[in-house]
Amino acid sequence: MKIAVCIKRVPDSEARIKVAADGKAIDETGVKFVLNPYDEYAVEEALKLKEGAGAGEVVVVSIGPDAAQETIRTALAMGADTGVLLKADAVGLDPLPVAKVLAAELKDGGYDLVLFGKMAIDDSSHGVGPMVAELLGLPCVSAVAHLEISDRTGKAEREIEGGVEVVEFGLPAVITADKGLNEPRYPALRGIMMAKKKPLEVKDAALEPGGIEVVRLSPPAERKAGRIVGEGPDAVSALVEALRNEAKVL
Amino acid sequence: MAGPLIPAEHQPHLPRERLILTEAPAEERIDMDVVFVGAGPAGLAGAIHLAQLVQRDNESGDGIGEVVIGVLEKAASLGEHSLSGAVVNPRAFRELFPGSSDEDFPFGGPVARESLYWLSERRARRLPTPPSMRNHGNYVASICEIVRWLGEKAQELGVDVLPGFPAGALLTDGERVLGVRTVATGLGREGEQLSGYLPPADVVAKVTALAEGTRGMLSLAYQEWQGIGSENPQIYALGVKELWELKRPLDRVIHTMGWPLPNDVFGGSFMYPLEPTVAALGLVVGLDYPDRTFDVHDRLQRMKAHPLFREYLEGGELVEWGAKTIPEGGYYALPERLSGDGVVMLGDSAGFVDVPSLKGVHYAMQSGMFAARAIFEALKADDTSRARLATYDRLVAESYIRDDLYRTRNVRPAFTGGFFKGAIRAGLATLTRGRFPGGRIDMEPDATASRRPGAVPRVPYDGRLTYSKVDAVFKSGNATRDTIPSHVIAGENLPPEVAEFYAHMCPAGVYEVSDGKLVVNAPNCVDCKATDVVGPRWTPREGGAGPQYKRM
Ligand SMILES: Cc1cc2nc3c(=O)[nH]c(=O)nc-3n(C[C@H](O)[C@H](O)[C@H](O)COP(=O)(O)OP(=O)(O)OC[C@H]3O[C@@H](n4cnc5c(N)ncnc54)[C@H](O)[C@@H]3O)c2cc1C
Repeated sequence: MKIAVCIKRVPDSEARIKVAADGKAIDETGVKFVLNPYDEYAVEEALKLKEGAGAGEVVVVSIGPDAAQETIRTALAMGADTGVLLKADAVGLDPLPVAKVLAAELKDGGYDLVLFGKMAIDDSSHGVGPMVAELLGLPCVSAVAHLEISDRTGKAEREIEGGVEVVEFGLPAVITADKGLNEPRYPALRGIMMAKKKPLEVKDAALEPGGIEVVRLSPPAERKAGRIVGEGPDAVSALVEALRNEAKVL
Repeated sequence: MAGPLIPAEHQPHLPRERLILTEAPAEERIDMDVVFVGAGPAGLAGAIHLAQLVQRDNESGDGIGEVVIGVLEKAASLGEHSLSGAVVNPRAFRELFPGSSDEDFPFGGPVARESLYWLSERRARRLPTPPSMRNHGNYVASICEIVRWLGEKAQELGVDVLPGFPAGALLTDGERVLGVRTVATGLGREGEQLSGYLPPADVVAKVTALAEGTRGMLSLAYQEWQGIGSENPQIYALGVKELWELKRPLDRVIHTMGWPLPNDVFGGSFMYPLEPTVAALGLVVGLDYPDRTFDVHDRLQRMKAHPLFREYLEGGELVEWGAKTIPEGGYYALPERLSGDGVVMLGDSAGFVDVPSLKGVHYAMQSGMFAARAIFEALKADDTSRARLATYDRLVAESYIRDDLYRTRNVRPAFTGGFFKGAIRAGLATLTRGRFPGGRIDMEPDATASRRPGAVPRVPYDGRLTYSKVDAVFKSGNATRDTIPSHVIAGENLPPEVAEFYAHMCPAGVYEVSDGKLVVNAPNCVDCKATDVVGPRWTPREGGAGPQYKRM
């Protein structure tokens, strides 16, 4: 089984994000970048499928700046076999140009499965995975929380409002991973040392200009400080009062 | 307990049996040529210089071939466990990167102006800056940024930089250090394996370079095991530091002495502008302080109310908080040897800090570079014995590291027993370039310094200018999971006074007293190692636990 996992380098969710001077991007100084957490589930799932099958190949593909090589190395350290960096200094907000470049890269690769995270935590657009599926003419199941592959078919579960949706599909297919699909492994020391020697191909990505323009970025409004209305049973009526009249949730 | 408290009487032994292993390394081991333990300035400069020497050698034809160099670091990402002032002397940077100029280095601005003050509660009196404290030609910098930058340089040279992997023990055979065993990840409170479990890994190397920084556990264990002494015991100070975004720009480097420290406590404060409106503010205090309820974190909080600081801080924002100890024993506390069979000790782990100038970064880097030279020669000769690696000891002894520390050898010791007497003695020691008082002033370990009862300090923390320990730990970025096994070893059935002494000393609230008993909140720990000096022992815990400093 040959599996591709598409991954993205994103700012750490713990990072202190500041808007850059032009108001249209984030200021990257001092910001730590990581492998997009949803993509970690995708990498882990690919590794589990390969290990379960006892054979196969896991290729990680990323579009991003040179520094994304480090992100790819993280996936290689987890156990992926080879990496491809499609180099682009700036990756815009529009998912379509990104999807086109990925689809072109994956088209003739002979992949049985293409995995994505359900979204990147920096732009939360959810777009790239399904678009790649469309461009490749493959079935796509998004936000998968449980996956089984047997022979040439797959069964995926999606957590939907109030229940679980079960989807069956034939391979090849595109899957985007939700939280809970698995528990991503930490790279072991040996894995990290070995990752350095694994093949990582770097080529330029010919990204088309996107159709989406960022007009302005602004940080979310500061949350108001909490208030302690009192202590013990006496405070209950004050709390109910505050919830009813101030917060208007009752 | 009404009388004085002697901390050493309640301190557990260094758990040497955990730190020095004699069993053979596991079969599934990782082989390197040289492993550096600790990605601070010492370890990284050492790894970089060694890689440079290897590269040069291989370019010249009959070279040494591939040399695998690894750097193990306990922080999850480089720099996250690094904390310093810092005003940095660029000397070692210039030597390590000969083609570069100062603008290429990860520094903030050069020190343009500096002021030294004697503080009373409301006033600040300007003092002349003594020569040993002058910073002309130095740069303000964040050690986190320095470490990240050095890490990139090391990786460009092919060094394996491995954050997230603490060394937990030395692997040994006879007198020889064979390498290290890393600490397991993913253990539960009782030591059970949780889902993300990663077993320890054995790293075997021809040379193990211990660059763990202050109070390095493996370095301490090695010295104890090998009976390596020093003329005076090593002593320590605790620095508690905050990073602030200022309302008003700060245009100079500030040092203060006096308030909020009593006259029988050695220490002082610093305030350094990293950018015009981003400043580091810290208070550094010798751990031999005589009052058992003394609390460095609390004193720093009070200090911020002083008009000198308040005018910059008020309306600004606390960005980060952290703490770390500093080895302050100086020249006479240096270990009598720095190398052994298959091992060398660098930087703060060896004690290369000049106390009057509060400098360690360039000594750490320089010691790493000297070690790299000695290691390279040893690898070339295929002999990494103690006799060969002693080249490192010689390089240090013939260098400015030794000279600088020798010149100020009696400054810190002069201060035991009170500030004013100390200031006079230290002043004379400085004026005579260390010749006064002649010979060596005896020091005792911090753990044997007697502690008298004291008044419990109380200041209300307002969450704007002043912060509780709980808030402070949050600002250190510490997100250690609370199911991790405790990594501190505390004495049993401790008298309540001892428990209180720990609770006051620890800036991160690891220790609390409840019903007269010691309660340990181990995940709070930010690895400053203060209580390890006088009380409960710190041991390496899983990678990534502890603080996540960004610009300290
Ligand atoms: C508050 C304060 C202010 C200071 N101000 C200045 C200043 O203005 N100028 C100056 O020059 N110096 C200053 N110093 C001193 C200076 O920071 C140190 O001397 C210097 O950082 C020492 O470098 P090092 O590489 O030896 O150790 P460190 O910088 O401490 O680095 C050691 C590294 O080893 C890692 N480590 C430790 N144990 C293990 C293990 N078992 N396994 C894996 N990794 C491990 C640590 O996480 C750390 O990253 C200051 C220090 C403090 C605390």
